[in-house]
Amino acid sequence: MALEVENAKLPYLSKCRLIKQGAEARVYRGTFLGKPTIIKERFSKRYRHPVLDEKLTHRRTTQEVRSILRCRKAGISTPVVYFVDYTSHCIFLEDLEGSITVRDHIASSQESGRDPVCLNTLAEQIGKILAKMHDEDVVHGDLTTSNMLLRQGSGDAKPELVLIDFGLSFYSALPEDKGVDLYVLEKAFLSTHPNTEELFQRLLKSYTQSSKKAAAVIKKLDEVRLRGRKRSMVG
Amino acid sequence: MQLNSTLELYPDYTVTQLLFKDVKNAAELRKNAMEGLVQGALITPSMIVDPFQILVASNKAVHLQKTGKMKTRSLFSEIIFNLSPTNNISEAFKRFGISDSDSAVYVVLVYPKEDAVDASDIVSKINGQQIPVDTISSLSDAAKIKKFYKVSPQEEGVGSLLDAVICRMAIKDVM
Ligand SMILES: Nc1ncnc2c1ncn2[C@@H]1O[C@H](COP(=O)(O)OP(=O)(O)OP(=O)(O)O)[C@@H](O)[C@H]1O
Ligand SMILES: [Mg+2]
Repeated sequence: MALEVENAKLPYLSKCRLIKQGAEARVYRGTFLGKPTIIKERFSKRYRHPVLDEKLTHRRTTQEVRSILRCRKAGISTPVVYFVDYTSHCIFLEDLEGSITVRDHIASSQESGRDPVCLNTLAEQIGKILAKMHDEDVVHGDLTTSNMLLRQGSGDAKPELVLIDFGLSFYSALPEDKGVDLYVLEKAFLSTHPNTEELFQRLLKSYTQSSKKAAAVIKKLDEVRLRGRKRSMVG
Repeated sequence: MQLNSTLELYPDYTVTQLLFKDVKNAAELRKNAMEGLVQGALITPSMIVDPFQILVASNKAVHLQKTGKMKTRSLFSEIIFNLSPTNNISEAFKRFGISDSDSAVYVVLVYPKEDAVDASDIVSKINGQQIPVDTISSLSDAAKIKKFYKVSPQEEGVGSLLDAVICRMAIKDVM
């Protein structure tokens, strides 16, 4: 049994361009049925027990595609899923060509000292999309500004915000889970982008205005922050 | 007029797509298909948005055959099953397979390259007019497709009908 879980690598990946080597996944660019495609390959972790490892990898793959579909159904932009190979744990996704991560966008805006109004609008856009996602009871699990892409619309339409990387996502209606989701983002946001406390407040304000269930979530966020602070005081 | 494509993941395979309108012998074709006399999948064009949808179903069928995970008996029935957003096999055939009253038919052939299947055999069986597959939108029934795949207006706000259809086809195994 244990031997069977050793997953075979997809030969086609050797023809694709590796764009990101992560701790749990490799991301490639290639084509699939003629379309530009992102291939996300989850690989096994040697230190994990093989059966457990296979289960975890499978769960992340399925949860990623399930949450993508749930979000799309609710009108939240995520990449189209073209194909899933559960044998090699590869997900074939629409390539959002020419998009940039929100992380890079904020960094370059700050560097060039460009119009801060744009960043404010972006923060509001993020707050709104996250409120919508949480209202669908999707908890992302890994909210960072690298897991949000901006796709330039046609003409002078404002760029579209697209959420990616749902491997750690799960379904939950609990305000606590959603509060932790926002807490993870807050930590990542403020440490990646210096002097953005105000910007992040804007994001939260927009979240609060967009979701009917926001009050309970923000209350949990406050609690989680407090817990985090206490823990760091203890050391 | 036919469309030949190679599958990146299975470069030894070719997918050939053909489309016919004004078909007079749909009942006979369906009977032939049931008896295993047709080496291809016969699909009702009204449920197809774009040739890409057929390619996604075909790629998945070859993949499941190679990995021993097909849910139906043949590669061709698997293509029809893969088009459906649900895991109900008989419903998939009812919706996506050709029916006796159809006046158009979408034909899909999938074969190893070295076999170089001759499409003229199947073309000769069809009493109808062949048209380019990229004119499929003139035969597809968007309202019926939206209803069967349960595509909401919100979802159409973030992508095309084809996007919505492809996502469901790709993910249905884990829904
Ligand atoms: N659909 C896509 N279109 C364009 N670029 C993408 C797409 N998906 C991912 N990318 C790029 O690849 C990077 C990594 O992708 P992703 O966040 O999904 O993987 P990851 O962070 O390695 O995953 P994990 O956190 O599960 O290990 C993104 O930050 C983005 O730059
Ligand atoms: Mg990521």
